[in-house]
Amino acid sequence: MTEAPAVENPLLEGLGQRRTPEPCVLVVFGASGDLTHRKIIPALYALALRKLLPEKFAIVGAARSEWTDDEFRDQMEHAVREFGRDDFKQDVWDWLAQATRYISLDFADETKENDLAGLLNEIDEERGTRGNRVYYLAVPPQAMPTIVREVGERRKSEGWVRLIVEKPFGHDLASARELTALLSEHFTEEEVFRIDHYLGKETVQNMLALRFANGIFEPIWNRQFVDHIQITVAETLGVEGRAAYYEHSGAIRDIFQNHALQLVALTAMEPPIDFTAESVRNEKVKVLKAIRTPAPEHVVRGQYGPGYIEGKEVPLYREEEGVDPASMTETFVAAKLLVDNWRWADTPIYLRIGKRLARRETTIGIQFKRAPHPPFEDATTEELQPNMLLVHVQPDEGVSLAIGAKVPGQGMRIRTVHMDFLYGGAFRTELPEAYERLLLDAMLGDQTLFTRSDEVEEQWALVDAIVSGWARDRPAFPNYAAGTWGPAGSDELTRRDGRAWLRH
Amino acid sequence: MAATLSTAVHTVEWSGEDVEVGDVVRALCQLREESAHEAEGPNLRTSVMTHLAWVPSEWEEAAVGTLAGLGERHPSRGILLFPEPDGDDGIDAKVSMLAFPLREQRRHIAAEVVELRLRGQTSRAAPSIVNPLLVPGLPVFLRWRGRPPFGDHEGDQLIDVCDRLIYDSNEWPDVPQVYAELPFDRAACSDIAWRRTEPWRGVLARLWPDVGEARSLRVRGPLAETSLLVGWLRSRLEREVELEHDDADELTEIDVDGHACAAPREHPSSSDLLSAELDQFGRDSVYEAAARRAVG
Ligand SMILES: NC(=O)c1ccc[n+]([C@@H]2O[C@H](COP(=O)([O-])OP(=O)(O)OC[C@H]3O[C@@H](n4cnc5c(N)ncnc54)[C@H](OP(=O)(O)O)[C@@H]3O)[C@@H](O)[C@H]2O)c1
Repeated sequence: MTEAPAVENPLLEGLGQRRTPEPCVLVVFGASGDLTHRKIIPALYALALRKLLPEKFAIVGAARSEWTDDEFRDQMEHAVREFGRDDFKQDVWDWLAQATRYISLDFADETKENDLAGLLNEIDEERGTRGNRVYYLAVPPQAMPTIVREVGERRKSEGWVRLIVEKPFGHDLASARELTALLSEHFTEEEVFRIDHYLGKETVQNMLALRFANGIFEPIWNRQFVDHIQITVAETLGVEGRAAYYEHSGAIRDIFQNHALQLVALTAMEPPIDFTAESVRNEKVKVLKAIRTPAPEHVVRGQYGPGYIEGKEVPLYREEEGVDPASMTETFVAAKLLVDNWRWADTPIYLRIGKRLARRETTIGIQFKRAPHPPFEDATTEELQPNMLLVHVQPDEGVSLAIGAKVPGQGMRIRTVHMDFLYGGAFRTELPEAYERLLLDAMLGDQTLFTRSDEVEEQWALVDAIVSGWARDRPAFPNYAAGTWGPAGSDELTRRDGRAWLRH
Repeated sequence: MAATLSTAVHTVEWSGEDVEVGDVVRALCQLREESAHEAEGPNLRTSVMTHLAWVPSEWEEAAVGTLAGLGERHPSRGILLFPEPDGDDGIDAKVSMLAFPLREQRRHIAAEVVELRLRGQTSRAAPSIVNPLLVPGLPVFLRWRGRPPFGDHEGDQLIDVCDRLIYDSNEWPDVPQVYAELPFDRAACSDIAWRRTEPWRGVLARLWPDVGEARSLRVRGPLAETSLLVGWLRSRLEREVELEHDDADELTEIDVDGHACAAPREHPSSSDLLSAELDQFGRDSVYEAAARRAVG
């Protein structure tokens, strides 16, 4: 079961290209699905274009749809052309296409699993992939147990196995534990890669670089200098055909439990001793454990009513296709979180997430305390905001800093100026898509940017505690208009503390 | 200020008809990257505000002229909204990246200008179009050309997006009555007509303490400025002041209790006046009181 330590390829030394995975086969379960089309295949193409995939490599798509190899390749070519970030290059595609196979199977049908095992052996023979496997489970949660069991029972003695699992990792703490138990029956924690694609984003990783590679931030990254932190994960989209899933998950399970809490953990964690998967994840878990269960008045939920998004009229949530007309599913959550440790005691982290908000934006704002004694008259600093460091996760990945600067001219007038910095332009390289980074890391066996089971459990413990409080009251939904920043209660959450959300 | 005024030298541009807001956001990102590559420096930018302008067609020419005159004074993103409620539904857009060279310095000040023609229904959904285009974390100033439809859904919504609403009540047909409807509790309000009275207010202030007993004011000038001046005297002095008004295009004469005041020397341009308003942040309580007492 344990993985042989990877031998570093000595020929890569000095080539500036340190990260090429060992030969392997990537098996994508759910190959006819949306995620495979929009993310996985375009990411593989981008990796192939940059020569980051191993020479001895194969992709096997698996789903129920009755396709031939060529039909699957056609579908994937469309996907690359439509969703890829690069120009389509025929030779790159040809290389990827010849490495791609498809197998039609129903996960419930055991005999078909044997066919898959047969195909994989054949590929090992043909392409020299040495029994190394990455299984990508891009399937609905209910299909997961069967695959895990079948794959687990058919492990080969040679080669390594890695299992990439997509969210949701359960529906609550109990089901998350069940899933962990199921996975651990057949796989070690080192073999399981739980994807939270936010962790694959450059800016999110850059939060670590910003904090731990620069001597100037860490000394002030604490309760003494930080007034509060605010994190916004705002979408303009509605449920977009995912109503069946969303009705059960709501915003708290869809975004809060995973992406939002990951951003909290990365922002608030202590410096890890090194950048290995275990060290980084140990520190994240400590933060999650230290989050106090918020009091009911510190959590606000919302559901959108009709409104306008980018100039177009949109219906209320309850009228979206597939949504119960009396649905009580929340499409918005705001919360005030307190992290009970030495670094953050009494420094609130305000978090808001939601659908159909005013703009698509994910930002982490660190609001510093005001200068203790500005030696200027009040009138000269009337428009001066406290320093704010804004990390933009999307759409433009970058960082901006609000500083007070003197207005040129006579007298001393001070005004807030934003200095901002876009990554894309600074480094002259295009930012990789999150899935590219994560797929490559999984093939390399690097778990740093994947979620560990104890992290998932801590996240669910918090969500369960919040949700249990919701059973007691029934808010009057809908309570915010599409295209706004959420219900009035969300503003009240910060206003009560004499603070405010960033307005724009 | 005027010494550093110069015209933009370098522009990159993108335009499109029937576009989505997402296209405009992408164009802004792309133009920024392009201009940064040409500048051969790190992609750093400083900004202090988003400047929105709501410009019904009859105000278009005047608005563009005023903005051009602002030049580099307010490094920011400018968004000009041209509502065309009678057109077919859709948005046409033009995005330009302007760079203003600073004289004798090897530095440029960058400004982005987004021009949006909001046709048909889209003109009634302006906030939802503007929100994705605001520079995050910065104040939003909204210059409304003409008379905002106070109390009407459309006007109200855009006011909620901004931190400061700037208008020129001289452009309104119904002063002074409309001063009673100003949305002071929703946004800080700036009136360019009020700014135009400033040199005259200075003149009157220098008449203190005699002016403290003033009973009547005769003003030759536009009705808006005139009403604000008398409102200002009434509110500051906390007494009734009678008004006699002779209409004229600009403020030219003021008598207090029959005594003529010496005219001030400053004549700021419309760009200077707007620029002064863009320097204001908080609410202007003196103006608010003046507007309230202007009605009578
Ligand atoms: N789409 C996204 O952007 C996104 C983002 C984050 C996480 N996820 C997660 O990723 C997973 C997949 O999402 P998706 O959007 O791609 O779903 P989807 O479009 O519904 O695709 C599901 C895939 O699973 C296959 N499948 C389902 N039941 C099967 C069975 N019994 N036997 C064999 N194949 C079966 C389907 O193939 P056939 O229909 O051909 O049988 C299809 O290829 C989900 O867990 C989702 O929560 C998706």
